[in-house]
Amino acid sequence: MTELEKFLLEKKLEREKSRQRVVRVVAQVLLYVFLITMALIVLFPFYWMIISSLKTLTEYQQSPPTFFPKKIIWGNYAEAFHTANLGKLFMNTMYVGVVSTLLSLVITVISAFAFARLEFKGKNALFAALLGTMMIPGELFTITNYQTIYYLNWQNTFTVLIVPFLVSVFYIYLLRQNFLQIPNELYLAAKVDGTSDLKYLWKVMIPLALPTLISITILKMMGAWNSYVWPNLVANDIDHRMITNGLRNAFTDANTQSTNYPVQMAAVALVSFPLFLVFIFLRKYIMKGVSRSGIKG
Amino acid sequence: MKRTIVSILLVLSLVLCMLPVFGCSKKEMPNFVMPEGGFDTTTPVTITFYHTMGSNLSEVLDIYVEEFHELYPNITVVHSQEGGYDDVRDKISKQLTVLDHPNIAYCYPDHVALYNVSEAVVTLDQFINYQQELTLPDGTKEIIGLTQEQIADFIPGYYNEGKQFGDNLMYTMPLSKSTEVLYYNVDFFTEHELTPPTTWDELEALCAKIKEIDPNCIPLGYDSEANWFITMCEQLKSPYTSAEEGNHFLFDNQTNYDFVARFREWHQKGYITTQEILGAYTSTIFTETKVAEKDGEKVIKSYMSIGSSAGATKQRPTKGDDGKYPFEVGIVPIPQVSADNKKVISQGPSLCIFQKENPQEVLASWLFMKFLATNVGFQAEFSMASGYVPVIKSVEDHPVYANFLNKADGGNNIAALSAKVCMEQADAYYTSPAFNGSSEARDQVGALMQACFVAKIDGDPNSEAYKQAVMAMIKEKFAAAIQECEYKS
Amino acid sequence: MVQSKKPWVAWLYLAPAIVLLLVFTAWPIVNTIRMSLLEGYSTAGEIAGKTFEFGFGNFAKVIDYGQFKTCLTNTILLCVLTVPISTFLALLIAVCLNAIKPLQRLLQTIFFLPYVTNSIAIGMVFAAMFNIVGNLSGENPLIVTAGIINEFLALFGVAPVDWINATSTYTTNMIVMVVYIVWNALPFKILILLGGLQSVNKQYYDAAKVDGTSRVRVFTKITVPLLSPMLAYVVITGFIGGFKEYSSIVGIFGEDMGPVGAAGRLNTMVGFIYDALGNHQGRASAAALILFGIIFVVTLINLYVSKKKTHY
Repeated sequence: MTELEKFLLEKKLEREKSRQRVVRVVAQVLLYVFLITMALIVLFPFYWMIISSLKTLTEYQQSPPTFFPKKIIWGNYAEAFHTANLGKLFMNTMYVGVVSTLLSLVITVISAFAFARLEFKGKNALFAALLGTMMIPGELFTITNYQTIYYLNWQNTFTVLIVPFLVSVFYIYLLRQNFLQIPNELYLAAKVDGTSDLKYLWKVMIPLALPTLISITILKMMGAWNSYVWPNLVANDIDHRMITNGLRNAFTDANTQSTNYPVQMAAVALVSFPLFLVFIFLRKYIMKGVSRSGIKG
Repeated sequence: MKRTIVSILLVLSLVLCMLPVFGCSKKEMPNFVMPEGGFDTTTPVTITFYHTMGSNLSEVLDIYVEEFHELYPNITVVHSQEGGYDDVRDKISKQLTVLDHPNIAYCYPDHVALYNVSEAVVTLDQFINYQQELTLPDGTKEIIGLTQEQIADFIPGYYNEGKQFGDNLMYTMPLSKSTEVLYYNVDFFTEHELTPPTTWDELEALCAKIKEIDPNCIPLGYDSEANWFITMCEQLKSPYTSAEEGNHFLFDNQTNYDFVARFREWHQKGYITTQEILGAYTSTIFTETKVAEKDGEKVIKSYMSIGSSAGATKQRPTKGDDGKYPFEVGIVPIPQVSADNKKVISQGPSLCIFQKENPQEVLASWLFMKFLATNVGFQAEFSMASGYVPVIKSVEDHPVYANFLNKADGGNNIAALSAKVCMEQADAYYTSPAFNGSSEARDQVGALMQACFVAKIDGDPNSEAYKQAVMAMIKEKFAAAIQECEYKS
Repeated sequence: MVQSKKPWVAWLYLAPAIVLLLVFTAWPIVNTIRMSLLEGYSTAGEIAGKTFEFGFGNFAKVIDYGQFKTCLTNTILLCVLTVPISTFLALLIAVCLNAIKPLQRLLQTIFFLPYVTNSIAIGMVFAAMFNIVGNLSGENPLIVTAGIINEFLALFGVAPVDWINATSTYTTNMIVMVVYIVWNALPFKILILLGGLQSVNKQYYDAAKVDGTSRVRVFTKITVPLLSPMLAYVVITGFIGGFKEYSSIVGIFGEDMGPVGAAGRLNTMVGFIYDALGNHQGRASAAALILFGIIFVVTLINLYVSKKKTHY
């Protein structure tokens, strides 16, 4: 190889390198452009909800629509809050959410523990049967459950909003997967030490599965927040009304069936806002919990 | 997978064992029998009342619930707003399956037909004719039933609506009424020397004229396609439905094809629109006051609107900056086919009473129902607050209500104007037969009108082939609607 | 696994869950089967003291009915369209997210936002965005408000389209539904796939780098196979969810389940069940059992195709 050839080869390599660098930068830029575009598409409906909630009814109906309200009507939020009596609805929802979450966690933890760590006849069959129920459309349960709670005389109580949904097969499944990841040796060691099941559960498994438990808590709270069909059916008196039910008809004039959309949008935003807050602060746990359910797929 | 199936079977068989536990406790609908001693004025009873009243009407109701309680101290009335009419119906029909229904409810005839599948509605004849006397706390006596004067005070058309269930028994008591009226833009009509239409033919000519004046308008907005269809059947004396078992749906006939085809043509020419087709309330284009050229925006206006007489305030434009209404609204009856057979739809809530284990509750419900329907003060105040019209004649002599009617105009007192127009037509009111499936028929003819209006058909609209294609399309939609009705009933 | 000396302890732990499930899940299933097998059963009739004969009439009536086929077609079509689109898009986004450093967490949060919303409420927002107010049929179409989507498309010279109103077509309706359902389904899928990607061992990629394997090859030969359990999970849950599609359609079209003049055009199986639930509980039960059968079979096929050892 002559000096010249060497020189040319070096040049070529250098060019190749810089070409690669350019490709990488372009690729990165394209990545960002794609992701940010998608993010904007995802965000747009939320943006639309918020600006709509700040418009006057006239501006809301205007064409072409405005992308930013000409005059910001914060009053829509106050009106939404008062018309729907949101304070009371909020307290009811919180109560149902907290109590049902606590009870649900206890049931889920002990059931998941039994499925993950204990051996008994028919375990797999039972677990498979439980998973089978997840495939059944929930609407199917409504008619019968509705009759059942009346035989139990539970109508218009908080009980009826809490008890029928305490057991979620999905959460048991989620937590069982989590428990299975904890090495069995720990349990055996604990057994040798004479630690009781409950103590082991409390001292070892729960701390290790904490992210999943937090995720379950949040999903359960979200469930209370978003539930509509069942509460509307069984407990729609003022003392027990839940937030989504309260919002549904509050802004529609019963005689003319006309709706004040901006105020309704404001109400939807108000209801969604706490969820977003919870989500932003506990993002890590929700994501971990939800995705953990998938990893074992 | 075998295991899954085995385990599912296991669980099922386990639950099968529970069947008898639930199976035994079957409840059955009670059947009201007039108690021996009549109404017991001492034992306390509580009755529940479902309605759709917004907060302003609930306030009126509260006052009269209080007054009722003073008359009958042992009856407590609990009332609640359950959303719209459909919500009341859905809730009650669910509650009926566990006998947890209210005592009294707002109802439309269709709802009563639905409740009667469970034989849940108490017939009223036994109360109306019940002559036993009651002594009220202030010492006056009254009979539990209705006096001849009270019956005569009802507007006959409204009163007889309670008997449209095929067996000539009375199931409902009217509470307040409304009908459809035609709203028109008085300023525009005066400016162009137009007169409001009285027949459909006049309306067609008028729409053509308005289209010439303002090509960018839709002259008429009609709120409810279903009302339109049923009203046309009545006006043309063409069959719609019947309460006769096994022969309910009669609307599939040539007369009805023809008027649907005619209105479709109007729609295609841009004469008319409906709330559903427009995608917004037709009142929004009727009350539109922007001028297209001036504001540089697309603006569609209408100059007439057919809607509920109870919604008059929605048909009024918003006040301008000078505190005046931009134009005056006029109200006239809807167009007719002929002056000899005037027909307008009867709308607005009635009341019905449900079967209950305790006959005293049922009697108390009757007393409350009678009170709401015959109390002049309540009828007057409720009508003024709601925009509906009262169901008894004596309300017109009530000083406050008479004063309300006297001030009727097309601006501030538009509700009074619409009430007036509504009351003048009391003779023309019709109702359609109610049976299990009648609400389905109503839904279907409404959807049918929409579908026929917007269906796309290619070709020259004046050609014979086009007209045949339209007729074929209409027949097809009618057949589908009938099939749907048969399935759902 | 430990064989407990006292097997009843396990049952004790499971007792609360089992009792509740028996009352609120298992009993309804049995009752549904009972109602579906009584000819023309309705609870209203039962309350009035009617008796019903045993038979398969409810099933026959449901299958015979024209709307049933529409519902089944819509449900299947929505599944077949939305599951692959959303899975592919989610995979793309997840891979991209995994390839960047700055802004990763922010973008991740944004992509997860739709998960925490009420599908009926946001459906109303979507409907408002696609809504077009005006009279579009006839000789002289008039538009009052074209809707934000049409305004946006107008920037590219596209004429206003009637997406969801009276003159809309089945195709445009379907496009709107697919967009909305995909939007709704993305967050969960992105999250699962991203989680999967992040747990993939870096060594595989390093090895590929040394070999000079192309990006596409890395994606198809390493990423996808390693992600396959997650992909299978996402597809299976996607199908199960897809067969239960209902509230997203209510959100856009209201309880009529279709545009004006074509109510029920977009009705789905669950919508069909709800329709019958009011007065014809026997038929509703029959339809629900049919739906259950379909989901069951589809899930079996999915499991078979993915051939992955599943932990349940």
